[in-house]
Amino acid sequence: MKRKIAGIAAMTTVTAIALTGCAGSDGGGEGAPIKIGSVNTLSGAATFPEASEAAQAVFDRVNADGGVNGHKIEYNTVDDKGDPAAATAAARELVGSDEVVALIGGASLIECDINKKYYEQEGVKSMPGIGVDPGCFNSPSIAPVNIGPYNDMTLTLLNGSENLGIDDICVMLEIAGSTLPAYTAGVERWTEITGKKPIFVDDTVPYGGSDYTPYIVKAKEAGCKAIAVNAMEPDAIGQVKAAQAQGWDDVTFLFLTSVYSENFAKALDWTSAGAHIPAEFYPFTEDSEINADWSGLMKENNIALTSFSQGGYLAATYFVEVLKSIDGNITRESVAAALEGMDPIDNPMVAYEYQFKKAAEQDYEPGAWPVELKSGTRAWEKAAEDWLLFPSSK
Amino acid sequence: MNGSALLQGALAGLASGGLYAVLAVTLTLMSRLVRVVNFAQAATGMFAAFSAVWFADKLGLPTWFAIIAGVIVGALLSGIIGWIAATWLSESTVTLRSAMTVAPLLLLISLSFIMFGNKPQPFEPILSGPAFSVAGVVVSWVTVVMAALAITVAAACSILLRKTTVGTKLRALSERPTTAELIGIAAKPLSIGVWAVTGAISAITIMVIAPSQSNDAISLSMLIIPAAAAALLGGFRRLDLAVVGGLSLGIITGIVAQIPAVSFVRNFIPFLFIVILLLWSQRKEVWDAAR
Repeated sequence: MKRKIAGIAAMTTVTAIALTGCAGSDGGGEGAPIKIGSVNTLSGAATFPEASEAAQAVFDRVNADGGVNGHKIEYNTVDDKGDPAAATAAARELVGSDEVVALIGGASLIECDINKKYYEQEGVKSMPGIGVDPGCFNSPSIAPVNIGPYNDMTLTLLNGSENLGIDDICVMLEIAGSTLPAYTAGVERWTEITGKKPIFVDDTVPYGGSDYTPYIVKAKEAGCKAIAVNAMEPDAIGQVKAAQAQGWDDVTFLFLTSVYSENFAKALDWTSAGAHIPAEFYPFTEDSEINADWSGLMKENNIALTSFSQGGYLAATYFVEVLKSIDGNITRESVAAALEGMDPIDNPMVAYEYQFKKAAEQDYEPGAWPVELKSGTRAWEKAAEDWLLFPSSK
Repeated sequence: MNGSALLQGALAGLASGGLYAVLAVTLTLMSRLVRVVNFAQAATGMFAAFSAVWFADKLGLPTWFAIIAGVIVGALLSGIIGWIAATWLSESTVTLRSAMTVAPLLLLISLSFIMFGNKPQPFEPILSGPAFSVAGVVVSWVTVVMAALAITVAAACSILLRKTTVGTKLRALSERPTTAELIGIAAKPLSIGVWAVTGAISAITIMVIAPSQSNDAISLSMLIIPAAAAALLGGFRRLDLAVVGGLSLGIITGIVAQIPAVSFVRNFIPFLFIVILLLWSQRKEVWDAAR
């Protein structure tokens, strides 16, 4: 019996050593590839394919130039279909069987909340190109490149009250899953900074609803001069059209970066007193040196020019820089340590310096560039000459 | 919360009410004449509307031509589904025929993602702007046209069924399909015709409404749910009650959005509507019979 127990104990120990000691691909071998992954929402109703495509383009370019210290990058993107079970499986496929050293440049609707505990347990770090769900902004293992929809909410309100001088702002929230507390906190941050309060906060606006007229009428009745909405593209278009049908021609729309696209601008000829958003990265609709490298690389690879591809590009670019700073073997542990201890990276496409630890703790000064869509132009244009920043919440 | 806000809400909900009513009328027609609850009704309209946008946007056809082409696409699609039902499921139960239409619903949603992408379509409004104001709420042209369209379609169908030869044949087919065929009424062309006409009506409806609301494939296709709730008021038999059901559902949704205390239920309104109607319609059933 004792012998049996000792045998089981020995086997358990060996297994444990095998599981921990060898976790992360052994990038130590001469010329062995560096395995990186990302979990993305590539199919379903809302998809973000550009982030990982952009990251792939950056890694391909690095590989074409000989890789990182002689190691080629192997990048594997997995689709979570916007489905919790698929997101769980995708993380396990990448971290467990592919043994990636880190997760870089993804964009998913749901992945962070579902997988953050697993990433912590496996000691793997994730740097999403675009963090969407609240889990992306409250885990020590996950540090997105973007400021996220909740900071975006604060910024769009700041833009409305401070830059545009609008006092009567109403907040309409479309809540999917458990995002309400995060958005509410975003609105409260604005109140903290400015001392102003929204006329009302309606958190019952339907997500993917069809006709928004009743909500628009309610806001118009309440005397709102601007409405701040966290809608995705189709819903935001519906809301603007409902206001147009109501003949509400002096309202300002304060949206989030999620509607910042050429497609959205093309779909709306009428935007009342204008649709304003704080662009999370330097406005891609402007011709500028700042975006030149990114837009050149995207065009070369036929990738859409969107905020999502900016996020994926930035995540991959930052990560390559971190990889180059690693002396010795590139393993999951050495990559995690390098990300934890990285020096801040400054990039003119972003308002703030990126440092993994600070981004994970949300301890930085989020900022965005105000952009507007005026009636009759069908094109976004810059609405400010500098970044709009607010003090960090820490 | 005051009366004027509720009135405003009611008027604001009228546009979607009209939309539900038109779709409910087409559903009722299908149920009466071709023994089917067509789950793909709204999806057919969605696909037709997306095709019209594609014709105008990618092929550069003039808007009116694109609209006509879109309506034809809607009629054809619906006709094809009708042909399947008439060819292979002509003797099947209503349940089976209705279940079959779930396949084209899913197929059309997926196909629209593949062909037109999952970004909103750049719809050019056919009608836009306010028609008149009541109590400070602007009633848009879309609302007026939708409500009028619902009533017109219901009235026209009613007259067609009662006063014309085609109507009589259709009624005969739906009441006694075998007898009607034996006396020489061509069942297949007639039933496919009903499918095609309702497809065209759905296409026109979605084209009118799509530019003024969320117009992605899923939200448009899922309009079938409130439409079915509305048709249930008339038991999928009575056109007039289908119109009343659609308009009331829209008005209730509009009112509920104005009352903060209950606005959280607004997503379940069609469901509640269905449950209440079912309970009401079964109220006199005794346990044995109702099972």
